[in-house]
Amino acid sequence: MTRKDLLDIESLRREEIEHLLDQAAPFKELFTRSVKKVPALKGKSVLTLFYEPSTRTLSSFEVAAKRLSADVTTFDVPHSSVVKGESVRDTIATLQAMRTDYIIVRNQMAGIPLAIARATKASVINAGDGAHSHPTQALLDGFTFKEVFPEPAGKKLLIIGDILHSRVARSTSTLMRKLGVEVAWLGPGSLVPKHGPSEIKRFTNYDEAMKWSPDAVYLLRIQMERQSAPFFPSLREYTKLYGITQERFKRIADQGTYIMHPGPVNRGVELCDDVMQYQRCLIDQQVENGIATRMAVLYWLKPDTAGNESLTDEDTN
Amino acid sequence: MASLLIKKASIASEDNDDLLPADVLVENGLITKIGNDIEADSATRVIDGSGKILSPAMFDTHIHMREPGQEAKETIKSGTEAAINGGITGVVLMPNTSPAIDSAAMVRTIYDIAERDARIPVYTSGCITKGREGKELAGIDGMLQLGVKMLTDDGDAVPDMMLLKRAMEYASEFDCFFASHCEVLELSGPRALNEGKVSYKLGIQGTPACSEEICMDRDIRLAHATGARLHIQHVSSKIGMETIRWWKQMGAKVTAEVSPHHLLFNEEDIGNYDTHYKMNPPLRTAEDNAALLQGLKEGVFDIIATDHAPHTPFEKEQDFVSAPNGITGLETAVVSLFHHYINKGEFGWSLLVNRYSAQPRRMMGLDPVAIVEGGRADFILFDPKGETTFSPDFMCSKSENTPFLNKTLDGSIDLVVVGDDILLQR
Repeated sequence: MTRKDLLDIESLRREEIEHLLDQAAPFKELFTRSVKKVPALKGKSVLTLFYEPSTRTLSSFEVAAKRLSADVTTFDVPHSSVVKGESVRDTIATLQAMRTDYIIVRNQMAGIPLAIARATKASVINAGDGAHSHPTQALLDGFTFKEVFPEPAGKKLLIIGDILHSRVARSTSTLMRKLGVEVAWLGPGSLVPKHGPSEIKRFTNYDEAMKWSPDAVYLLRIQMERQSAPFFPSLREYTKLYGITQERFKRIADQGTYIMHPGPVNRGVELCDDVMQYQRCLIDQQVENGIATRMAVLYWLKPDTAGNESLTDEDTN
Repeated sequence: MASLLIKKASIASEDNDDLLPADVLVENGLITKIGNDIEADSATRVIDGSGKILSPAMFDTHIHMREPGQEAKETIKSGTEAAINGGITGVVLMPNTSPAIDSAAMVRTIYDIAERDARIPVYTSGCITKGREGKELAGIDGMLQLGVKMLTDDGDAVPDMMLLKRAMEYASEFDCFFASHCEVLELSGPRALNEGKVSYKLGIQGTPACSEEICMDRDIRLAHATGARLHIQHVSSKIGMETIRWWKQMGAKVTAEVSPHHLLFNEEDIGNYDTHYKMNPPLRTAEDNAALLQGLKEGVFDIIATDHAPHTPFEKEQDFVSAPNGITGLETAVVSLFHHYINKGEFGWSLLVNRYSAQPRRMMGLDPVAIVEGGRADFILFDPKGETTFSPDFMCSKSENTPFLNKTLDGSIDLVVVGDDILLQR
């Protein structure tokens, strides 16, 4: 049970997901030791290729790769200009020549990681492509959810916010459903896709959604730049309708509902300050688990580059 | 070639589906005799047509040949050879070349190239607005003087309604008609695929069908109000089809086309970002496929046209959003429509001949090319028992961006004759 690439959650079988989540646990244990490093990927090279600015995901992958003793290179790509598919193709040729074993790619265009994966022998990990997929985020969310609910089947997860533009919502919804979790969405009508899977429950109002008694509420980050295109009238109105305000937080704490968020949070928009101190707020745990699950992913994938030596014939053609 | 005798082929016509076998004698480019057991003299070339269909050759009114400006994708030479390879003996070019065909000088340039490079008649449409920019009217009279009949900014709609209304008021006085690519840009997003299940799954903003339907309705209303004749291009949705049906019942002077790809494919075919299924308007749903086929059978669609849109492999191998819209169609249209519809009894040859040979020619002010005594020889011989593999070697187009690439379908075009010339014989 192994793969060359991790491009989305859709194509993963349930056993593969469970295998990866099981693998992540021993890596997490490692973090409590004084030496946090294992030699699993010693001599292997990992290249990060982020076309979108990212601090958290990029460093999470870097830490994960380094704890597996891989050599990590950051391929510096311009974030400012819109990167067209054309130049990505030219970049792929360059990467192929570098003989890297793993490529971790983030791009604002859906489908770019797939295009790279088809063109290279290296293992490609999708670190987020457009509104399509963010598989390692989904895996770390699944891992975190399983830490508090070891038997996730039948549990309920409510995702609140901008589902439409969110690759996290897509991937995490898919993964959770594969684990048997019931998933529901809540958000402004203009930010919830009309054509999502019919099995996902759709709420239009906060109180109704909470009456469903979710075991965890997953808040999505509201992108401030969406304000220029009016998907909703104002942040104030968003918070009023969908945010975890002080008053709503009390009810959440009473019900003992867990809170998740992919970060970074907008305090005062998706949630109020108190949530961050809440005992059942899993946000920091998600970050820590991100490293462990990404280690599990790197460890699991098998690049076609193994035995590069024997490929010289083909390469010189 | 002095004379040609096709023996025992079944003759297709737009009038009925009785494919009666007969011998057809062609002399000096004219069909001089149709009958049984016609004797040939020794100078006559005889071709056995038994078991095969002799059909009027097709005519495609929606073609991008990319010349001038993007000759790496296609030229008038390669594009017309592709047409012949697909049993098509006349084409109307779209004006979104670079520079655009928006003046008498550009029309003349196209005719000059065609005169030099093409073995079949090449007609061109002309822009409504200069450079297809939607700002000022193009040199309409100059283009019409050179025989242009169709005015269109194809690839885009004319966004300014007042400008379009004035263009219609101005040109409706002349012998010409308008053709609309229907789309409200504000609703379209990145123009990559239909808004629906697949756009959700692939994480790309979709173009809703209403983007096309609103513009279609807008343009027909303007034409109806001004008295202009209007042709709606590449209708992709059920409501679009019904919109046209309704306006026809209202007496609007509107015609419409449907493309083979909108009939045969839908958004599910995109699979994992396959850009061979990316075009504008996008493929929609299975329900739309069924409605479009119904509209074709019932005559809501007057013609079939391919929107032949060549792109290089490099361009199409980009990610789904960056890859350009469009697929080729000239070489695959007849065989794919035979394979999927005629061969399965969905419709007969008469419908294909009417919608893809006779009606398109009438729309362009040309005479249809029926297989009748005294008629001009302009036909294909089609082998329903044969098959065609759309390999890069088979195709004459410079581009290979078709979902049929390397696929094998039932039916084969064995012969294409225009006048005195055998343009193709397999």
